[in-house]
Amino acid sequence: MDKLFVIAIGGTGMRCLESFTHLCAIGMFDNQEIEVLTLDTDQTNGNKGRVEGLIHLYNRIKTSGSIQGGTPNANTFFSAKLNLHKYYTNYSSLGRESYKNISKISSGSIEQQKANGLISDLFLDNNSVQEFNLAHGYRAQTHLGSLLMYHGIVEAARNITKGKDVQQEERELEIFISKLEKSGSNARIFIFGSIFGGTGASSIPVIPKALQDFVKIRSGGTSSLDFSKAKFGSTLLTEYFTFKKPDDKQKLTKEDSVIADSSFFPLNSQAALQFYQNDPTVQKCYKILYHIGWPIESKNVDDETSGHKTITGGATQKNPCHITELLCACAAYDFFTRKEGLDVAKAEYLYKSVAFKNNTFNFSFNDFVGNINKSGEIFANRLGAFFSLAHICLSKNGAAIGDNGIKGFIVQCEQQKLSQYNTITDEECIEMNDYFKLFAYNFDNSRFKPGWIYQIRNTVLPGSFLFDSKAFPDSAAELKKMDVGTLFIDKKFHWPDGGILSNSYDKFVKELIKSNPNSDTQKVNTTKEKFLAHIYNAITISQNFNLN
Amino acid sequence: MTAYIISIVTALVFLLISVFIANAIKFEGGSNPKDSGKRKIWFWILAILNPSINFMLGYFVFIPKANIMIVEKYISDLSIGTGIGFVLYIVIGFILSKMFKNGKLGHWF
Repeated sequence: MDKLFVIAIGGTGMRCLESFTHLCAIGMFDNQEIEVLTLDTDQTNGNKGRVEGLIHLYNRIKTSGSIQGGTPNANTFFSAKLNLHKYYTNYSSLGRESYKNISKISSGSIEQQKANGLISDLFLDNNSVQEFNLAHGYRAQTHLGSLLMYHGIVEAARNITKGKDVQQEERELEIFISKLEKSGSNARIFIFGSIFGGTGASSIPVIPKALQDFVKIRSGGTSSLDFSKAKFGSTLLTEYFTFKKPDDKQKLTKEDSVIADSSFFPLNSQAALQFYQNDPTVQKCYKILYHIGWPIESKNVDDETSGHKTITGGATQKNPCHITELLCACAAYDFFTRKEGLDVAKAEYLYKSVAFKNNTFNFSFNDFVGNINKSGEIFANRLGAFFSLAHICLSKNGAAIGDNGIKGFIVQCEQQKLSQYNTITDEECIEMNDYFKLFAYNFDNSRFKPGWIYQIRNTVLPGSFLFDSKAFPDSAAELKKMDVGTLFIDKKFHWPDGGILSNSYDKFVKELIKSNPNSDTQKVNTTKEKFLAHIYNAITISQNFNLN
Repeated sequence: MTAYIISIVTALVFLLISVFIANAIKFEGGSNPKDSGKRKIWFWILAILNPSINFMLGYFVFIPKANIMIVEKYISDLSIGTGIGFVLYIVIGFILSKMFKNGKLGHWF
């Protein structure tokens, strides 16, 4: 079994990682321990903070006693173990704020300064690109970004080799790359990022080479990454969102002299695709590149809180999730689970299409993960099960309005004299509730706040997205009375209704009482793992999927 | 003998009604589910109703049209039978509750 690695780069990469984390939570990566690296120039970026918070929460849910982050399980929720590593190119300290400062153009002899200046001016505009503040990323200046991202990683390797002033983020990068090096030909590395923006677009072409050179420098030339063996995959994600155009007033200062303009994203995407099709280094480094795009009008991500200015980065950059990001996560699923097509000398470009009618897309489960080895049905089963559980936790047991949520199951089990889960603490239950709030929804002072799956679904409206439209109510009253067993469009996956004297939830609890977790096949050891596996089994039986 | 049969049959019928009600009360979610309490209350309401109904049935419906000696013996048997019916309802209820302790009947005890 190959060892899996995920690298998320830039704001879009972070949101793809968010979708990937939710795929792990629903149980799509059984028996896997996945190394995750978040890579950004902007350590305060809101999207980065959000996904890192999500993975920390995921790990707290899996943690039991001294086993930090838990262990890999199978056929249950939160089955994959995620090890998070964070790296960012530091542009906040003195002398590192802009290209001009970081490249030390003004140091050395007069001759050197002149030569450096000429080379820089040849590629990078002197007044704008060389001077803007790098703390918020590369601002769609990929020619600068590729150079600096490569520089950042190589600089980290040199600092670690010297052993002087090594930063925490450089140590984390080293741990990640050491694991990658150790895995050798068994490594599968998937990179998330866009090709139309700044940081991701700058980094995807150079990351394999930068990692290879990191290993070389770190080992003093005795070791390297072999591109013919290590399997790299990535997405070629073209433009799918817009934001307000920066005005001249905002661009007056040197720090903000360059601001990404989303009206150029289609052009950026076209240029990038041409590059990816022809560049020999990319073709040599990557095994598969998944071309993902949004061929209809892009959604505007500005909201009422963004004010008049274009948000360039920082903590306020928290864009809602989009279905293309879920498709990217599913591309990673395909890359990590495929048994063939990785033994190629040149990158293969993959794409597929989705039913489009009356100016809307209509997504089915097979559109996301195909249906080889029933993966479409497995995806439907697990996403449906997790979504049902989220509704039970948030609405039926009221976690979204401050009630006890997942603790309700423990109370339920206790009432049925099943006392094996009594040791799960209130704090652990709150962590699970918090995860479901991020996954589905929450109420903030009785105002509905859509979570990940609602945000994804909103990008497809009025088209259909996997579940019945009744599965997505957004008022407390509707949520309270909804039937959590009827989320699917296909009625054969509805939970049994239980007859005149019962209902689907009642029938589900009866199933919960009858069923049990299986320690051997589900590889669950701790009480919390058994509890989650137990609920997973009861919902799966209720859904009536035939996955054997 | 009739009095005892009436008591036993009544107790069993009441027990059957209790089982039916317990199953008809749906599982509730949330922090304070009341379904288990409802099942328990209904079990004890029927436990009290059982001897009352049993005695009234025996006295007003099944009382024999015979001499006073037979009627007195019947009423005496009916009183004892009512007590036995009450105990029987609780004992069988307890056994069922322990047999199905993880189900809805488990809420009786």
